[in-house]
Amino acid sequence: MLDIENLSVSYKSNRNTVHAIGPITMAIESGDIIAMIGPSGCGKSTFLHVLSGIIKEYDGLVTLNGTGLNPKLHDIGFIPQNFGLLPWKNVEKNCLLSLKIKNKIIDSELIEKIDYIMNRLNIQDLKNRYPKELSGGQKQRASIARAFIMNPDLLLMDEPFSALDAITREEAQELFIDVWNQYKPTTIFVTHSIEEAIYMGKKIVIMSHCPGTIVKTIDNPLFNTENLRQNEEYLKLSSHIRTIIKKGWEV
Amino acid sequence: MTYKVKIKLFLQGFIMINILWYILAILVNTRVLPTPIDVYLNLNSLYDNRLHIHILVSLYRVILGVGISLFLGVSIGLLMAYSKSWNKVLNPLVYFTYPIPKTALLPVAMLLFGLGDSSKVIIIVLILVFQVIIAVRDAVLNISQETYNPIRSLGASKIQIFRYITIPAILPAMLTNLRLSIGTALSILFFAEGYGTQLGIGYYILDAWTRIDYIGMYAGIVAISLFGFVLFVLIDILEEAVCKWKA
Repeated sequence: MLDIENLSVSYKSNRNTVHAIGPITMAIESGDIIAMIGPSGCGKSTFLHVLSGIIKEYDGLVTLNGTGLNPKLHDIGFIPQNFGLLPWKNVEKNCLLSLKIKNKIIDSELIEKIDYIMNRLNIQDLKNRYPKELSGGQKQRASIARAFIMNPDLLLMDEPFSALDAITREEAQELFIDVWNQYKPTTIFVTHSIEEAIYMGKKIVIMSHCPGTIVKTIDNPLFNTENLRQNEEYLKLSSHIRTIIKKGWEV
Repeated sequence: MTYKVKIKLFLQGFIMINILWYILAILVNTRVLPTPIDVYLNLNSLYDNRLHIHILVSLYRVILGVGISLFLGVSIGLLMAYSKSWNKVLNPLVYFTYPIPKTALLPVAMLLFGLGDSSKVIIIVLILVFQVIIAVRDAVLNISQETYNPIRSLGASKIQIFRYITIPAILPAMLTNLRLSIGTALSILFFAEGYGTQLGIGYYILDAWTRIDYIGMYAGIVAISLFGFVLFVLIDILEEAVCKWKA
């Protein structure tokens, strides 16, 4: 359970204080997957940086499973837009990085899980390659594998599929949801694609312009629907969201 | 680059230089510029002249000078990159002293530290340490903040961030610096071995020169060149081992 109460972030730039986001209040049940959709510059990335412990100065309260959010205590998986693989580590070592940082003992059970996830994401053959030698889709699969291997309390993704071409993106989304359904970590992802939000978000949170606040939260009835794009409901929901966005994003 | 390509490159360069040298020697036709054949035929007498000892002594000075420069330069560079207040104190000093031609301080070093090895090593350190400081500081500052984000979200400690991000990220710049430093140290050596010593490859060349032993002098030049080349190859091997991901 992730509890966010009156979260707001401001930062200083050139002596001006910029109010980037908030106040935001929301509660996310364990095992939920939330899609956040909002205009560019609305502070979506800032929001994820707070939840991932990268930004430490903020107002308000964030608690994860009853204790204050802390990347040292909680296992937080973070997949940034550029996938965040370390260029000097090969795929296998990148995948094991989270375990090493957390000083986890890699026993046979864990090795089995690592192998399974790597096979599932089809990166077993890329184990010894460096990120430079991977395509965008391969990098992303490695990044997703790294996040799932650590069994995160909270999984955060910043426009995880936007750097991929259309066909790779659809495949990657399907694969992701497939693996996600197996482990069901509490997940928040940011996107600017309505289609992606409907396909992958159990709940869809629509954000306003800067400073980003929540305009509306929608329970998505179409989550985990197969052949989504042929579904009539999809078009309805999609145009419904579009209307809210148009109203909410008006300046 | 594969080893085959490198060996080919070396051989090509070696042959080209020697052909040019040969043609020039024939054209100039003076005792001051013997042909490479005369010099190479004389190489076997170098062992009698104890050239290997001269090379070992020079190697000792280069390693000591470069080693101390790297140690000091990396420590100070990291300090300046990580601490804003230290950077404020040290930056004017580095900025001001960087362009001073440190070779001009050789007499000072000699007066303060004597004619022995210490003044030679100190002059090497004085020349190298500033470029190492600047290279390390800039390499650390050039790591983008984004690179740190995934590891920060894992709650990594400062030591872990240093080990998993900072060191591997600055390693390529460090190796480039090592390469430049060794090249520079070799040329300073020639100059610093011109006084207060009877050992070292720089002394060997200058000594042969004053004795008008031109063939010996060229043999010394060939030896110092090969010496430098071997050091470069060693750095290549090191680079391939620790920066595999860059290839």
